[in-house]
Amino acid sequence: MTATTGPAEPRARIGDVLRSTEATLAAIAIAGFVALAATTHGNLLHGDTLRAVLQFLAVPILVGLAQMVVLGVGQMNLSVGVTVGLCSMIAAWMMVQAGLPAWLAVAACVLVGAAIGAANGLLVILTRINGFIVTLATMTVIDGLRYGIDGSGTYQGYSPTLVRLGQGSILGVPNAFLVAVVVAVLVAFFFRRAAPGRRLLATGGNPVAARLSGISNDRSLVVAHTLSGLLAGFAGAVELALSGSVNATIGDDLLLPSFAAPIIGGVALVGGAVSVLGTCLAALIVRLVDVAQAEYSIDPSWVNLIVGAVVLGAVLLTQLRARPGTSGGRARALLARKVRRT
Amino acid sequence: MPAQTPPTSAPATRPPQTRAAASTVRRALPLWANPRLGLFAVIAILVIVFTALRPSFLNVDLSLVPMQADLSVFVVVGLAQMVVLSLGHMNLAVPRMAAVSAFAMGWCYEHLSMPLWPGMLVGLAVGAAVGAFAGWIIVVTGANSFVVTLALDFALAGLITLLYSHVGDGVAFSVHPAGMQSLGTSTFSDYCAGNVCGPPIPLIVPIALIPVILIAMLFRYARVGREMLMTGSNLKAARLSGIPTGRRIIQAHALSGLLAGFAGFLLAVNNGAFSADIGSSFLLPSFLSPVLGGTLLAGGAVSVLGTVLGATLTEVIQTGLNLLNFSVQALDIYIGMVLLGALSLDRLRHSVAERRGGRA
Repeated sequence: MTATTGPAEPRARIGDVLRSTEATLAAIAIAGFVALAATTHGNLLHGDTLRAVLQFLAVPILVGLAQMVVLGVGQMNLSVGVTVGLCSMIAAWMMVQAGLPAWLAVAACVLVGAAIGAANGLLVILTRINGFIVTLATMTVIDGLRYGIDGSGTYQGYSPTLVRLGQGSILGVPNAFLVAVVVAVLVAFFFRRAAPGRRLLATGGNPVAARLSGISNDRSLVVAHTLSGLLAGFAGAVELALSGSVNATIGDDLLLPSFAAPIIGGVALVGGAVSVLGTCLAALIVRLVDVAQAEYSIDPSWVNLIVGAVVLGAVLLTQLRARPGTSGGRARALLARKVRRT
Repeated sequence: MPAQTPPTSAPATRPPQTRAAASTVRRALPLWANPRLGLFAVIAILVIVFTALRPSFLNVDLSLVPMQADLSVFVVVGLAQMVVLSLGHMNLAVPRMAAVSAFAMGWCYEHLSMPLWPGMLVGLAVGAAVGAFAGWIIVVTGANSFVVTLALDFALAGLITLLYSHVGDGVAFSVHPAGMQSLGTSTFSDYCAGNVCGPPIPLIVPIALIPVILIAMLFRYARVGREMLMTGSNLKAARLSGIPTGRRIIQAHALSGLLAGFAGFLLAVNNGAFSADIGSSFLLPSFLSPVLGGTLLAGGAVSVLGTVLGATLTEVIQTGLNLLNFSVQALDIYIGMVLLGALSLDRLRHSVAERRGGRA
């Protein structure tokens, strides 16, 4: 699902698909899954275990997508994790303290996320400060706000319907996972077919060219940040429905996974390209490392070590693969120069 | 440090007069556009406000001495980030590099019963090695420093917990080398010659000043430092002018790791223990101080004095809000706001100054 354009011959296309990052990731995910299933005597294939694997994959996917959207325009959003926490805390507060209905709380959760994202985007374009620093600052602010709602207290016992919905499943597939997949498909559609999505990628790929073709880069930045906040809000809502109790620490451990998923998934930090499928597959791989840790009862610290090493490895691999590509790029540049001269 | 400075509201009122001066110097920005002066004024104003609200803000034992001790740590933390910012890079692994370095120091003290300073040197070497490793990956792969150091931070976070649970006794080392205690708790006022005692400055302040001076000299006078700045400002041009850019990148990252390790050492001395949580609070301050001080994220320019002032500002705000009984969370909110506010103001001042300078 990398946003590649231009028609290609069917045969070449199959080869491209097989050689793509997504195919590699899918192969790794399947191999990891099979290895895990085999070494745990099929425990992984047991209905409940499998459901848990997918259930807790939802938030990593959504958070990874939230980061991917801003990476697409060449920005970063460090406030993704804390936004998830703040959104779910606000929604829980609305249900427990204010006694509002669950649907309203969930809607507010998503809207608050979008509002935070919009604020990030506006700050970036109005102050012209690096997005990294802006979101570092808003991350700190939101971190404080998150604790401001209920201190270190825990909200629980809110809307049983919502929790039943969040923990339930349709035909054996957890609802939370379904929500994440639907959102992922929508995001993929947005970047593939929708004009605003294409504009985002144009801005990320080459801001000058984008401006010359009449695209407002400022608007792209705001849209990307808003979308990122919106997805974080979604993740907050899923977390709310899935866990049944929330406190202010939610989102603390989401910042690094949010970068890990798109980066392993082959999304460049320079912007201009996104890969929804790659991000989702990478989230699955990270989740499998988590599962392996639980199944073999390994020290949880190993997870960080392994995921960090995997990200480094992915970076190395991408660069190594890009090497022949750069020579191709040089050839293309030479060709272009020749064309111009003639 | 700047607690006794007289109210310097001058830079704020000066702009109209310096307009003429700005026109004479075309390239240089006018004096009032200097972020260091602005920072200095803000610090002075805040000190006055906090002292008016809580006179204990200037209490030597309660507030000034701990502030200086904290400040020594965070100035070095800021420098650790500033060194890579000079390249236009980032080092998100500053916290874990400090932790790994502190682990190595603690291990040397406990298992090799090394004295204070040699043990510290071993730890610094480990920090520098980790930093060099990060730089090496960046050079070899050409990948963004952000990803590389983020992944490294991830990996090291796991490694440190494992190291402490396998080698140490869980969370911290129990052995302290001779001299560490007094270094962490004494001030110069504890040392008297007759009736004359030293100033109430913690012993670690001059130790923290050493890297400040060395780094300032490195970027001002040393060839290596100048070449790092050139690499940061234009990699291609630097390479074409014969600068070994790859080596400079690795060196800057190694220096960042070394400084992170030094900050870890200072914090451990302050806390009185080499523990696993050393460095965990370093990430935000590491960016806050240099960025507030006017170091560009784009690379090519650094300000050591600005970094010191940036760290001082953060420390003053933290101590002041603490004294005013703000909770830790409220403190976070304000620090984030200050960062945004300061940067927006800086941006505004810069663009106004450029416009005026350009028209004149």
